[in-house]
Amino acid sequence: MTNECKKGRNIKDSTSDMVNLTKNVDQTDDLKYNRRAFLKTAVGASMALGLSTVPFSVRAMMGIAEDEGERLEVARMDELPEGNSMTFNYPTESDAAILVHTVNGELVAYNSACTHLMCPVFYEKESDILLCPCHKGYFDVSNGQPVAGPPQRELPLIELEVENGIIYATGRKYRHG
Amino acid sequence: MGSFMPREGSTAMDKKMCWILIFLTIAGNVVMVQWTVEAYLGREFEQVVVYSGIGVVLAFIALIVYINWRKLEYSTEGHR
Ligand code: FES
Repeated sequence: MTNECKKGRNIKDSTSDMVNLTKNVDQTDDLKYNRRAFLKTAVGASMALGLSTVPFSVRAMMGIAEDEGERLEVARMDELPEGNSMTFNYPTESDAAILVHTVNGELVAYNSACTHLMCPVFYEKESDILLCPCHKGYFDVSNGQPVAGPPQRELPLIELEVENGIIYATGRKYRHG
Repeated sequence: MGSFMPREGSTAMDKKMCWILIFLTIAGNVVMVQWTVEAYLGREFEQVVVYSGIGVVLAFIALIVYINWRKLEYSTEGHR
């Protein structure tokens, strides 16, 4: 390690032969875009990528702290015969959800924002499937997993409880099945 | 440019190794960004923290390796 190299590293009046080649028309570029500069950029890129994940973990820590899963009355069983569906909001007013009583008698609920681009999904009684009309995304009604079309992730599952003929939403699961 | 003769005092952490390590951290960090975002969207918050922790560690490795490389690169005599 020499100290004087620090200041004079990339200057034109360096005594290095490489810098003072005669007729080197691209001298400025050679000094600017070289192997060393490339590695420095690479280091910068690597650090930028690594540190760009930090905001996500900060948000995630806030997400861990916030607690979902309050109990909400959604509907009465006799309002929802087999093959029907209804919409509600859970866990907050801005989270649209769909409650389905399938033709097979199953009772399931999901947040209805399609995991592709957030269009609401609908229950199709004829084929017993959840359909997102925007880009023809299909979800399995029994577990919320995408079965066709652009969506890649499953719909968030809303856990249900039935008590005295009243359906309650009790919690939400993002990854399931 | 530089001499291709092995320099004296060249350790396991020579300049070529630095290049390799730095590019490995880039590759690793690309994967970590991808996984972090994926886990975040899936609300797997524990995983988000793990992946982004790895990302930060890799970023620090890149920095340390870079400092080491700089030491080697600019201490070589006869380059200027
Ligand atoms: S928004 Fe549902 S398929 Fe595109």
